[in-house]
Amino acid sequence: MTVRGDQMKLKNKLKIYESYLAGKNAPVAEKSTSSVEIPNRDEWEKRQVTPYILDGQYCLIREKRYPISMKRGKYRFADFLDAVSLWQNTGVAHPLSARDYSPYDLFFFDTETTGLSGGTGNIIFLLGYAYFERDQVVVKQHLLPEPGGEVPLYDSFLRSVDYTTLVTYNGRAFDWPQVKTRHTLIREHVPKLPSFGHFDLLHAARRLWKHRLESVKLSIVEKEILGIERHDDLPGHLVPMVYFDFVDTKNMEGILKVLEHNEEDVLSLIILYTHITDQLLGRAGGQTAEEKLSCGRWYASLKEGEMAVRFLEDAVRELEGRELWQGMFELANVYKKQNRLEKSIPLWQETVDSGRGNVKIQSCIELAKYFEHKQKDYRRAYNICLIAVDECSRIKKLRGNVPDLLFADINKRMSRLERKMEKF
Amino acid sequence: MFKRKQLSQLLDWLKTDKNVKENITHWEIIEGKEADYVPMPDDLHPELKKALEKRGITQLYSHQKEAYTYGMNGEHFTAVTPTASGKTLCYNLPVLQTILEDDTARALYLFPTKALSYDQKNELNELIDAAGISVNSYTYDGDTPVNIRQKIRKAGHIVITNPDMLHSGILPHHTKWVSLFENLKFVIIDELHTYRGVFGSHTANVLRRLKRICEFYGSRPVFICTSATIANPKELAEALTGENMLLIDKNGAPAGKKHFIFYNPPVVNRQLNIRRSPVLEVRKLAGEFLKNKIQTIIFARTRVRVEVILTYLQELIKDKIGEKKIRGYRGGYLPKERREIEKGLRNGDIYGVVSTNALELGVDIGSLQVCIMTGYPGTVASAWQQAGRAGRRQGEAAVIYVAGTSPLDQYVIRHPEYFFKQSPEVARINPDNLLILVDHIKCAAYELPFQKGEMFGGMDVDDVLDFLVDQKVLTLSGNKFHWMSDSFPAHNISLRSASRENVVIIDQTEAPDVRVIGEMDTFSAMTLLHEEAIYLHQGTQYQVEELDWEEKKAYVREVNVDYYTDANLAVQLKVLEIDKEKETESVVTGFGEVSVQAMATIFKKIKFETHENIGSGPIHLPEQILHTSSCWISLKKELKEFPEKRLEEALTGVTHALKNIVPMFVMSDPNDVLTAPQVKAVHNDLPTIFLYDRYPGGVGLSEQIYESITAILRETKEHITGCPCEAGCPSCVGPDVRSDTGKADAVRLLEYFLSGW
Repeated sequence: MTVRGDQMKLKNKLKIYESYLAGKNAPVAEKSTSSVEIPNRDEWEKRQVTPYILDGQYCLIREKRYPISMKRGKYRFADFLDAVSLWQNTGVAHPLSARDYSPYDLFFFDTETTGLSGGTGNIIFLLGYAYFERDQVVVKQHLLPEPGGEVPLYDSFLRSVDYTTLVTYNGRAFDWPQVKTRHTLIREHVPKLPSFGHFDLLHAARRLWKHRLESVKLSIVEKEILGIERHDDLPGHLVPMVYFDFVDTKNMEGILKVLEHNEEDVLSLIILYTHITDQLLGRAGGQTAEEKLSCGRWYASLKEGEMAVRFLEDAVRELEGRELWQGMFELANVYKKQNRLEKSIPLWQETVDSGRGNVKIQSCIELAKYFEHKQKDYRRAYNICLIAVDECSRIKKLRGNVPDLLFADINKRMSRLERKMEKF
Repeated sequence: MFKRKQLSQLLDWLKTDKNVKENITHWEIIEGKEADYVPMPDDLHPELKKALEKRGITQLYSHQKEAYTYGMNGEHFTAVTPTASGKTLCYNLPVLQTILEDDTARALYLFPTKALSYDQKNELNELIDAAGISVNSYTYDGDTPVNIRQKIRKAGHIVITNPDMLHSGILPHHTKWVSLFENLKFVIIDELHTYRGVFGSHTANVLRRLKRICEFYGSRPVFICTSATIANPKELAEALTGENMLLIDKNGAPAGKKHFIFYNPPVVNRQLNIRRSPVLEVRKLAGEFLKNKIQTIIFARTRVRVEVILTYLQELIKDKIGEKKIRGYRGGYLPKERREIEKGLRNGDIYGVVSTNALELGVDIGSLQVCIMTGYPGTVASAWQQAGRAGRRQGEAAVIYVAGTSPLDQYVIRHPEYFFKQSPEVARINPDNLLILVDHIKCAAYELPFQKGEMFGGMDVDDVLDFLVDQKVLTLSGNKFHWMSDSFPAHNISLRSASRENVVIIDQTEAPDVRVIGEMDTFSAMTLLHEEAIYLHQGTQYQVEELDWEEKKAYVREVNVDYYTDANLAVQLKVLEIDKEKETESVVTGFGEVSVQAMATIFKKIKFETHENIGSGPIHLPEQILHTSSCWISLKKELKEFPEKRLEEALTGVTHALKNIVPMFVMSDPNDVLTAPQVKAVHNDLPTIFLYDRYPGGVGLSEQIYESITAILRETKEHITGCPCEAGCPSCVGPDVRSDTGKADAVRLLEYFLSGW
């Protein structure tokens, strides 16, 4: 384990035990002395749900534990531990890299809200997260029993997680801004909210599976990619209604379904992170050629040339058609950045010869650049531009419009080449 | 050889030319006045002082100094400011000075339209750049790119927006605007007089929400309003902001001598009292000025008229000065085009502009020499704003009002004193209209939970909150009402239109490309959007091709016709509650809540200018019920000398004239106040005229009518007796009075109404 991970852990622990260290009673100890009335208290406690009381208000905290040997879809939870250690052994820089983190640092986090609008009237009523503790996966969920109790909700939440290492699904755009909004409203009563770094898996899912799935909603990725089947799951759009009913009637039945739904989500995030790591580090068995292409392109955009080459070389061996041209073009560009033009040229050439569409035009441009600037062979560069012009007019016939920027680029290039050819 | 004439020579021409002078009914000369200057305030930041000097401002007008002092003392104030009186410095000075003294200070500017926001941002930024100070001012509206929104929220010292954006884009997301709300020092409300009726009533509630949020973050902004001339600027500002206001109405800006000329086109049919079209008269007059390269602005009420006049004039003068020298200006032009025209006017490249009221509000085009109004713009306030476009600080200017045939136009031409006396127009709002109030309490609860017993706009609203709990929109937890719904209330509430169930108006002129151009409440839609109706939208005529009542959609197509449509509404009116009442021996006047059951029956096509009925058709729409507030006047005395038929006609005639006079006293659009004469009212069995608010629940219009009823009746009588027609015409008692006795009977009825006060 690395030094940084250790520090994180200690900071985290300090936070959790802050109330003890400060000589106060432990938060749970309040329950015996409180006069707060909690409907169905005994029923809740039978279901591992305990109240957290602060200033005469309370929230409910549910805790569940699973052995790391437990299977979920294609994986076991324990596979996540391997995934994190894989990152330690690689020098690859990637936004999802867990290098310098211990597996016990990460919190897999998801919220349930009363709406999707993102304004101040949209309340988070459930904060759920999963994390690893020794040989167990712990799921903790903080439930807001009534809209008034946000102070104990956020107080208990902020004291028990490290929000600098959250793993979410679209948390960057949705959950976390929502947490910030709620925090702003009660900021005088709860610990300060620091700026935060986090792993958002939605972006990865988009990159890897957008072309394959009708949507990259977590439930679909879970089913189609991770092989997880849910039974009797509550549809997401019913969640607000169930919650309103719960606030109204205090009837537990519906809200327990929401808790289970949220638990499924956070547990799946563990598996999803594990699977994405396997994808990115090339450990996933049966990785499709398209997945390899996606990984390669991602690394290329991160300027991780070596990894990009590894995936793309592999991918072009298996791909065909449009994806193949795309793969060759990407690979050629990576080689170019590595100053290995000799490897780029045949790939561009091949794309020009066998490809169609924008990649063909782009490859023409690359080749033309090469012949104009490196070989000073203006005639050849010019002829390659002519191929691009043909491709533009073919596209125009097909789609009714030309790729404007590319077309402008070619025209500029050709008039310059004409001038140069005249000169010599 | 053509020799250019000066303005003074052309004024002589107006006075002496036989075909012109006899149409001039009034010529008022407003003498110029010197500026009332005071020195710059001593404490004004040196950079700011320097920037003003760079622009040639070394001293302030007295009203600017007054504004600065009030603003810096943290006092709310309203400044009544004519066009070109340096209004913007009234708020920009205290705001910039405060920000320079404290970099965390913030200000919010509200303009009624986006176009004005951009204009003001540019002007403000010029001043900021000239001063070389680091003050960030941004416009924030629907067009603001997403990538700079966050920067504006955090670092914008001055945020320029409109009430609609504040309502749906800022307040519901106040947690993203912490630095604004924690440090909000000023809220600027420009063009105060436009915040009347429904829009004003909504905006007052938006400001109540704003103040509630400011309180949450611990700020208490100063409100600064600027307004055109209306009868009650201070009262309106106080109703809108809920704060006590100081009033600045002594204007220290200089003005040149101004000629105000009233021109009534000649009568072409004496019996029907039909006059020549004002468009033709305007062509004659404007052409003369433009041929002599005198910068002239011509206002017309509709887009169609703008185009017609523009074509005439360009044709008329193209040999003399070139047609590009005269331009049109109206809504629908691209911003770039508009900027170009504005610049051309400022630097003198363009001699003439024909405009809708789009140029009425504060867009900077410099000052022209002549302003011609084609018809009365609807309110004295607008008329003054249009007139303000002509007039330089030195030298003479002329304003020519060319009357149309509408009753209001003709009324104004006979009563020039209305322009020059204190304005009688009262702008009213009713922020406590229950429907509007409940809508905004929902939004407010969404923004921050309500405490039990918390006041909203000075009112105890627990009953409303309990109601919303029953509606399952709020939930009571502890002593707080929390929002408990997955909806976003502000999205369903429009500040500009009436009730929730609106008919959407869809333009299919360029089908299959259709676009929504507006919406209208169902009650108004019955008479304005029935099939074959001519619907006017921002001056463009549309014909309704299909009205899908189930789906609440009206499909329209642009047309150019010479008639309008008028639908008959069969109305049953019941008084539900009498709030106020006053009576004399012969009449009783009341104000209260009414229920109006209305069914549209037929519509007529009525020709412009002559008001001839040129066709009609049935309307098949279900009956509608409207609950609203109303003012009524009932005749207590038996009128034995009037057989029922004549009484009915007299009531109809008086009602028609009343409807046209009301806007002189209560600022409103023609259809905001509806009328219903009844020979026997249900609640008191007396002959009664009802005037009621079109908007459900009322926005204060009929209440203001009740307050001014005797003055309104007196003017109505004056208007009918003063009309030169013999036995009634469309300009006075209306087209439905046809008998020879109709006009005299209407006057008689009014005398009864007026006796004994």
